[in-house]
Amino acid sequence: MDLAAFFQPLEASFIGEWMRGSLKAMPVVEATHVLAAATVFGTIFVVDLRLLGIPGVKRAFTRVSEEMTRITWAAFALAAVTGVLMFIANAHTYLINRAFGLKLTAIVAAGINMLIFERYTRRGVAGWDVGVQSPRAAKIAGLLSILLWVAVLFLARWIGFTKAYDFSVPDDPNIQFNF
Amino acid sequence: MDAFTAWLHATALSQTIQAVRWIVPLVQSIHIVMIGIVFVSSLMVCLRVLGRAGTDLSFDEVQRRFMPWIRGALAVLLATGIVLIIGEPAREFGATSFWLKMLLVVIAGGLNLSLARAPATSSARGRAIALVIVWVAIVFLGRAIAYDVEVWQSLALHG
Repeated sequence: MDLAAFFQPLEASFIGEWMRGSLKAMPVVEATHVLAAATVFGTIFVVDLRLLGIPGVKRAFTRVSEEMTRITWAAFALAAVTGVLMFIANAHTYLINRAFGLKLTAIVAAGINMLIFERYTRRGVAGWDVGVQSPRAAKIAGLLSILLWVAVLFLARWIGFTKAYDFSVPDDPNIQFNF
Repeated sequence: MDAFTAWLHATALSQTIQAVRWIVPLVQSIHIVMIGIVFVSSLMVCLRVLGRAGTDLSFDEVQRRFMPWIRGALAVLLATGIVLIIGEPAREFGATSFWLKMLLVVIAGGLNLSLARAPATSSARGRAIALVIVWVAIVFLGRAIAYDVEVWQSLALHG
C-alpha cells in the first residue's frame, strides 16, 4: 500500500493546512508533545525503578504503579494527539524518515513488553508487592521498559534533525529528500 | 552578534560541536530525558504537598525519594545545556525564550529549596503549584528557542 498516497488527503485537509500555516501552531503543539512525552517517560521510569528495587522495596509496587499509571495514560493521550497533529502537517516527510519508523517500532515494542508484564508477570504480584525483591521476569520487564522509552525519546529528537520540512501541500506524495 | 558570542562561536570546542553532526541531537536527547525526570519528580513533590499522591508517605520521605533525582538531573541538564550553548551561542543568547527560560530555572530552583525547607506552612500549596507551572513554562520556552521570531515577533531579540 502506498502510505504517502493514503495519507495525502489528511495532509491536504484543513488540519494539515492549519498546522503548516499558523505561525504558533507548530511551536505550541511541539512543546506540548515534548512535555507529554517527558511525563510519559518520567512516570514509567518511577514504576520501572520500583520493579528494579530502586530506591527500595518498602513501598507497595501496586501503590506506586496505580499512582503513576493514571498520569502516564493522560500524558500518553496528550502525546498521541499532538503527535498525530505533527504527523498530519508533514505526513509524506515522516513516512520516509527512518528515525520516525524506528520510534514507532520502539513504542510498539514497549507496549508489547508492558502487555506481557501485565498479563503474566503481574499475576503473582501478591507475593512480591511489598518488602521483597521483584522476580527476575519483573526486573527484566522494568529494565527493557527503561531502555525502550529512552530509545523512543532519542529517536524522537532524531526526527527533527533528519526529516525535511515541506510546508506546501504535496501534489506528488513521492517527493525525494536528500537526507 | 556581540563580541562574547562571536568569540565563543569561534572556539575549537564550538567548532567541533558544530562540525560533528550527531553531538547536538545526542545532547538534546539526553536533555529531554532529564527533563522527564525533573518534571515528574517535581510533580510528585507537588502532589504530595497537595495530598493527591504519596499520602502513605510523609513529606520528608517523598522529598528523600525524589530530591536526589531532581539534583542529579538538574546537574545533567546544566551540563548538556552548556554544551548546546557552546555549540550554537547565537541561537541561545539571541533568543528571548532562552533568557526567560533561565530566569524561570532560577525561580524553580528557589521554589524547590523553599518547599524542602518549609513544606507545611500555609503558602506551601501555592508554592507547590507554582513549581509545576514554572516547569511547564520552562519546557515550552525550551522548545520555543527554535521558534523565537514566530513566538515573540516584535519581542524577539534577533528579529
